[in-house]
Amino acid sequence: MKIPLNWLKQIVDLPSDVKKLTHDLTMVGHMLDKIEVINGEIILDLELRGNRADCYSILGIAREVSAIYGTKLKNLPIIDIKKVNKLQNINLKVLTPLVKNVEIIEIKNIKIEKSPKWLSSKLTAYGIETKNNIIDLTNYVMIETGEPMHAFDLEKIDSNLEIRLAKTGEKITTFTDSALNLTNNDLVWANNDTVLSVAGAIGGKYHSVSNSTKNILLEAANYDRANIRRTVYRHKLLTDAGIRHEKELDPNMVGFAISRFLYFIKKYNWGEFKTEVYSYYPKKINPWKINLNYNYLNKLSGLNLETNEIKKVLDKLQFKIVEKNKENLTVLIPTYRTDVKLEEDLIEEIIRIYGYDNIPANTLSLEIPKNITPDYILQEERLRNSAVSIGFDENISLSFIKEKYLSLQVNKNNNVTLINPPSPETKYLRSSLFPNLLESAKKIIDDRGKLVQLFEVGKIYLKDKGKYVEKRKIGFIYRSNNKNEFIYFKSLVLSFFDKADINNPLYISDILDLNFTNSYKLRLDKQEIGWGGKYGEFYYAEIDLDSILNKEQKYKINLWPKYPPQIEDLTLVIPEKTYIGEVISAVKSVNQLIGKVELTDIYENSYTFNIEYQSENHTLTDKEVEVIRTKILSSLKSKFGINCNG
Amino acid sequence: MQDDLQNIKNQAIAQITDCKDLKELEQVRIDLFGRNGKFTLYSKEISKVSPEQKKQFGIILNEVKNTLNKLITEKKNDLKIVIREWFDPTIPPKKHKIGNLHPTSIVISEMTEIFKNMGFSITEGPEIETDRYNFELLNLPMDHPARSLQDVLYIEEPEILLRSHTSSVETRSLQKLKPPFRVVVAGKCYRFENVNASNNAMFYQFQGFALQKGLSMAELKGTLFSFIKSYFGEDRKIRYRCKYYPEVEPGVGLDLDCQFCNQKGCSVCKGRGWIEMLGAGMIHPQILKNFGYNPKEISGFAFGMGLDRIVMDRFKIKDIRNLYNGDIKYQ
Repeated sequence: MKIPLNWLKQIVDLPSDVKKLTHDLTMVGHMLDKIEVINGEIILDLELRGNRADCYSILGIAREVSAIYGTKLKNLPIIDIKKVNKLQNINLKVLTPLVKNVEIIEIKNIKIEKSPKWLSSKLTAYGIETKNNIIDLTNYVMIETGEPMHAFDLEKIDSNLEIRLAKTGEKITTFTDSALNLTNNDLVWANNDTVLSVAGAIGGKYHSVSNSTKNILLEAANYDRANIRRTVYRHKLLTDAGIRHEKELDPNMVGFAISRFLYFIKKYNWGEFKTEVYSYYPKKINPWKINLNYNYLNKLSGLNLETNEIKKVLDKLQFKIVEKNKENLTVLIPTYRTDVKLEEDLIEEIIRIYGYDNIPANTLSLEIPKNITPDYILQEERLRNSAVSIGFDENISLSFIKEKYLSLQVNKNNNVTLINPPSPETKYLRSSLFPNLLESAKKIIDDRGKLVQLFEVGKIYLKDKGKYVEKRKIGFIYRSNNKNEFIYFKSLVLSFFDKADINNPLYISDILDLNFTNSYKLRLDKQEIGWGGKYGEFYYAEIDLDSILNKEQKYKINLWPKYPPQIEDLTLVIPEKTYIGEVISAVKSVNQLIGKVELTDIYENSYTFNIEYQSENHTLTDKEVEVIRTKILSSLKSKFGINCNG
Repeated sequence: MQDDLQNIKNQAIAQITDCKDLKELEQVRIDLFGRNGKFTLYSKEISKVSPEQKKQFGIILNEVKNTLNKLITEKKNDLKIVIREWFDPTIPPKKHKIGNLHPTSIVISEMTEIFKNMGFSITEGPEIETDRYNFELLNLPMDHPARSLQDVLYIEEPEILLRSHTSSVETRSLQKLKPPFRVVVAGKCYRFENVNASNNAMFYQFQGFALQKGLSMAELKGTLFSFIKSYFGEDRKIRYRCKYYPEVEPGVGLDLDCQFCNQKGCSVCKGRGWIEMLGAGMIHPQILKNFGYNPKEISGFAFGMGLDRIVMDRFKIKDIRNLYNGDIKYQ
């Protein structure tokens, strides 16, 4: 809200130091956005608060200043008017309960002229263009009181006026020359089938005041906030009126604003009127009571306020105390404070004026609640550290994938998409961590990097049987100039499992997705935990975090064995297309005295394995080893047709 | 007899000095101190010496032994320097690749650590949310004016959306957890934003909330001040002011002094001298009631802050897009 200081000064005394004023306003909830100086006038721009409709006005901020410094508000002169059931020319029908309060008055023999300087300079300072004295005065009163008002050209409207919901397809051209197609949820002022203005938001082009206007109908009203808000956003009508009406304005401000307007009309002799308004106010709003419990105030605020201190603050706020006893006060809330409805709201009022600076800073020394951090959060932290320890850098990317990577989505039919993406780049949620890791990897290659070791821990998003599912994954992308890249990559991934204290998974060759060659599934304890493959020059593996949750073998250590192993090399002639991993598993499954089985050399189809035989309770004899070896060889022969090469 | 010792000594000194390599030196040492070495044999004479001379004899023997040993050691070092092979420690190595955490992960774990020490646990929640948890239960009913500050990304309008703040985890936690509890959450949030250097459609928030009998604005202030001082420094100035958020009552805004301009006003702080750091307050009584709590019996506080701005300041990154577009070049 822009507050020209000279304007504010007319309603309330200000401290001479502007810095002090803006600091104090900031502390009570109206943060200074910036100070501007326009034509030598100081204008404060205060951050708007969604719940303080009253502070979208000079009067509202003046009340705040008065509450801070305990200074009295100056009187705003008005003209008293009486309420009647019928006006001379106009007959108004309100056809919807969305209207809470409305007043209209006819003003005749209007003198349209250029606004005097006191008026035009204030609007300029606030930032509203001046048009003529009448339009400017409606804006002036709106800014001063917060109550938007509108003047129709009385000659251009029919005597039968109504406020109703628009019919679907009804149109209006606004005075800013934009054509709106209305819906049956938009509230309008109308003559039969002609829409004159969009209630609470904007006036029409053909029925508003112009330079040839002779007589006017002035209206001010209070509507259902939510309805106006929907209209304002539906048609993008964030006008000065619209941003006020979408908040909860004081219905009693309607009459005050009209009376204030008439005061200026009379003072400057800009028109003639009878002091009679037509008023429709079916359910008058009166100040409401809130009970304030001293103990609750102090319990919630952490302060220790005495009764007289509380009373002093309420007095500054002009909140009347209507009842009091040892434990409670009953406070009457003025109707312009539409934001103060609960006891807690009232408590905030008291402590903000008393001063947030006076709240003590207590250490949280209450009973310490038990640690309830779920395992999966700790898991992610551990796995990040495991991935870092094998030399991978962490990538964090947007949860979206670019359209060009759509073909890389793993579950193409289950994409989760946004219906209102800010750009095509943010329309699709990722169903794999791969595309964004690929993009980051390419940046490394483009920068002439040779080694890519990136990982990401994050969620993927799927639609499964009509439900939206988020799954936690870790993805690894790898590329290097090594001769046998796959083995390097695999060794890093297995080291990751070692570091995470999780058993190494089995790699099972499998065609998963035509985007990837050399693809495989990862299996641990008979459960599928992930997959991997090669895409162009990059190797990728993705592991599901829930599948490996709680698979860590914590607190497990091995001691050096007491008896030395027997170690020997076996060179085997292995037929083509035999999975070496399966050969090694077969060797190990022969006897539990077989410890390590390591592939040490490959020459043509001869594979040399280094095998350790070891017992926990004695040194194995050559004889014992021989028995095992014979079993190994016969097993390999029968399973794979493998022969021993000596 | 002592003359003999003197001779052994002098002879040995000459031999040590003349040695050309380590092998020769070792031979000299053996000739002196070996089992049948000259010195060894001579020292055995001590048994023949009269008891009153024994002490004196011993002292002299030791002196000679120490002198010669010292000489041998010095000679050994001299010879080593002369014969050392050429070695260049300045040669550049091919470094082993080490891994790095993302700046956001680093900041999250630093901040989380501080809250852990104040008895907070960590929690999370879904990113694909419903209007109910993201707004409705947070005292932000349909058509609430504060909703326009958070333009939401919808998957199915108006019910299914991407959470616009981590406050949705607050409603989930209030439903699931039994008080007393203190939790923090750091996570991705989404809003309809036109992407530029300071806004992204995805961003991180760091949020905390506590529900426990006896919590007041004073504990909230103590918690926040303690966090700010630990994380940003003991000397930082804090502005603790009233601010409106629909999720809390009373509400708090917390600002830190702008260090870019020493509070003189600059483009970073928009001339204000203060940087808005976080929002907080006591959990709104309506929210407590939504979950079956009586606000007079139990109270809670909540606070939240944008994380990316803090990460950017910490790592001197100027454009938010650099954080999540794979632009970080790790060494």
